[in-house]
Amino acid sequence: MDVSRRQLAAVLTGAAVAQAQAPTPVSADKEVDDARARQRIAAQTIARVPLPMSTEPAFQFKA
Amino acid sequence: MAEIAPDIFFASISELNAKLRAKEFSCVELTRAFCDRLERVGPRYNALALSLREQAVRAARDVDRDLKIDRTRGPLQGIPYGAKDLLAVKKQPTTWGAKPYAAQVFDYDAAVIEKLDKVGAILIGKLSMVELAGGGDYITAAASLTGPGLNPWDTTRWSGGSSSGPGSAVAAGLVTFAIGSETSGSILTPAAFCGVTGLRPTYGLVSRRGAMALSWTLDKLGPMCRSAEDCALVLHQLAGADIQDPGSAGRNFNYTPQYTRKPGDITIGYMPVDFEDGAEPSAQPALRVAFEVVKSLGVKLKEIKLPEFPYGALVGTIIAGEAGSIFEDLIRSGKVDQLADKHQIAGLKAMLDLPATEYQRAMRVRTLVKQAFRDLFLNCDMVLSPARLGPAPKVAEPLNAPGPPTKSRGGLIPGGNLAGLPALSLPCGFAEGMPVGISLLGRPFYENQLVAIGNMFQKQTDWHRRRPPVT
Repeated sequence: MDVSRRQLAAVLTGAAVAQAQAPTPVSADKEVDDARARQRIAAQTIARVPLPMSTEPAFQFKA
Repeated sequence: MAEIAPDIFFASISELNAKLRAKEFSCVELTRAFCDRLERVGPRYNALALSLREQAVRAARDVDRDLKIDRTRGPLQGIPYGAKDLLAVKKQPTTWGAKPYAAQVFDYDAAVIEKLDKVGAILIGKLSMVELAGGGDYITAAASLTGPGLNPWDTTRWSGGSSSGPGSAVAAGLVTFAIGSETSGSILTPAAFCGVTGLRPTYGLVSRRGAMALSWTLDKLGPMCRSAEDCALVLHQLAGADIQDPGSAGRNFNYTPQYTRKPGDITIGYMPVDFEDGAEPSAQPALRVAFEVVKSLGVKLKEIKLPEFPYGALVGTIIAGEAGSIFEDLIRSGKVDQLADKHQIAGLKAMLDLPATEYQRAMRVRTLVKQAFRDLFLNCDMVLSPARLGPAPKVAEPLNAPGPPTKSRGGLIPGGNLAGLPALSLPCGFAEGMPVGISLLGRPFYENQLVAIGNMFQKQTDWHRRRPPVT
């Protein structure tokens, strides 16, 4: 089938727009999703520790 | 040419140094013999990343010249050692155990390498490690450029990680000592599994300059040796302030056994479940005997409770926040897919999605962990526990496979690392034919006292002198 240059340009432009609109995650595969889920579970576990508002992180910046 | 007897490969630092000074053999002869052994036997355990024979023999010649005119530089002069392959050695590959960095070369030495070079210690090889020190959460022993770390006591079992090469090499007498690293368990675990003595120093005591970073606020470098005394002799040289290491504590360590407290003045905390039926069944007899030996030293023993925190979750989140940044380019470039362990690849990728608030919360809870351990050490001087709850697992099994049920909570490895505390792992017997270890956790900069108790334990036992069946 012959494709005109106009038709080809339209296809390529459409593909580029679609790619720009839908950012892909670093990787969509299940293992990464599972790793993200484990991170979330860890964060939820940590969130249950009572934490006074005045507690600062365990590092110090010095000028 | 003097013949190097087999016992030499298992001699202590002091014994070897005395023989060199007495000219029983030259440093070149000793170095060549160790290089031969490391190159011949190291690959059996996947322990050797790179032999440094040429530069080692050159350094050995310098030592021989110094010894000829009695220019002595301390107990490490002429002693062959290995360095975990996350330590930069000038103009040599430093692979971090990972395929994406297989050709990486630095034009400088790591700080610890410089320090050991200054006192005449002989670096004979780079030792293998788990890729990127295992920060992405690996589940296979094969998570390494050099293949799975194999245990010299039984090569169907894992050497432990991430300092797998250092653990195997010291156990099998391929080096007199090794420099390992620990973010959370990577010195204590291979030390326990391979039956060697490992010392994780207080955070900031040893400069991290020139070492691969996995987690800026958790990483520590430390010695793995055949005895507590040897660990102290090495730490004496490694420790010290370094303005180029932002985490440097600005302190030295001087090995001063003559100033340590008498055992009767020391209180050792412990959790009874750890030495009753808390560990894996096969390890319980050895741990019970070890407990009785510690008791027989004349120390005061006190039951304690470990502060309750989600240690594993905290360490995992902090590593995710820091390693995710350290390895961001590796991950975004896609080169992370070259790593050997798929679970680790996924873990590293997921790190980029960790919200900053979650990392910060973990670091704030970490402040509470530090305070809790400070409070714990108001009532005892150190804490005794199993270094690991069982012997080394089989290489063929996933590392996260459920093992025999245990009642011990564990937590001292991640908890101690979160609080930046020093710990000493001591071999204390066998289970299923494999070494088992105990550990002593101390308050910050308490290494002298930990080593003192370790020395006393090793005077009463001979587990640290046992040798795996190496032919």
